[in-house]
Amino acid sequence: MQETELVPYKVVPREDTGLYNAKFGIWLFLASEIMLFGSLFSAYILLRVGSFSWPVQSDFLNVPIGALNSVILLSSSIFFIRAWVALKADDIVKYKKFMWLVISFAVLFLCFKGVEYYQHFSHHEFPKTSVFLALYFLLTGLHALHIIGGIAVNIYYAGPGMYLRTQDKQWFINRVEVAGLYWHFVDVVWIFLFSTLYLL
Amino acid sequence: MDQKSNQSEFKRDINIYFTIIALTALILGIHHLQLGTIGIALIVMVAITEAVILGYFFMHLMTKKKTIHFVLLLTVVVFLTLLFWPAWDVAYSPRTPSEFTQY
Repeated sequence: MQETELVPYKVVPREDTGLYNAKFGIWLFLASEIMLFGSLFSAYILLRVGSFSWPVQSDFLNVPIGALNSVILLSSSIFFIRAWVALKADDIVKYKKFMWLVISFAVLFLCFKGVEYYQHFSHHEFPKTSVFLALYFLLTGLHALHIIGGIAVNIYYAGPGMYLRTQDKQWFINRVEVAGLYWHFVDVVWIFLFSTLYLL
Repeated sequence: MDQKSNQSEFKRDINIYFTIIALTALILGIHHLQLGTIGIALIVMVAITEAVILGYFFMHLMTKKKTIHFVLLLTVVVFLTLLFWPAWDVAYSPRTPSEFTQY
């Protein structure tokens, strides 16, 4: 008996949901992620609304680096789409090229984030310094952890995980699509982080 | 035929990419103008537009099944309820200055 028969709907969509398992699963996961980041954004809004005074956030943060990081993450998103399209077209060389571009840009994003953190620490700005900085480090730190997780998954699918393709091509394409959905979500979160923390 | 649709998809993705970049530039422009409360509202609106475009095209929400739309709608409703419930309290509870958060 083949493995695909043991675990149904890995490749073929279910009749009731119209989705294969992993896609339904990742959307439920993303819904929980929305709640996670949503709760922290709520905390930010409530603390800001409830504060007697609030700092000019852009004075604390490096807006040009934040903007550059937005472009970097958006670029990595489009590279991911190109990687997935190349994989569907069976162009593995192109797929790998774009996946490593995604990974490189994600690492670049983290490097710039590291530079920002270094600037804060060298100015003795820590999470304990103020409520705003506590929220800033919490939100951007959690986001950076998500980026690191994404990088790990992307490295796996661009490198050692490629053997999965030999087992079932369509299943592998679906796995990469699911990883892509996560990656785009991380991008969406950054759009809100950049707008609320750097510019409002 | 497949090659053609691939190319048109590629063009569409590139257009969306530059649209989102342009919207990011727009957000920076609004921030630079220092419009106060209106500026905050505009920045939030443009950010939401960016997220919707990204979700709609890059995350294929335009072609997704009703199940996903239902999951997302439910999430948004629960999130907004949880957000505005305490916000209501914060906005309408009388407080002395010492009860405000010190940043």
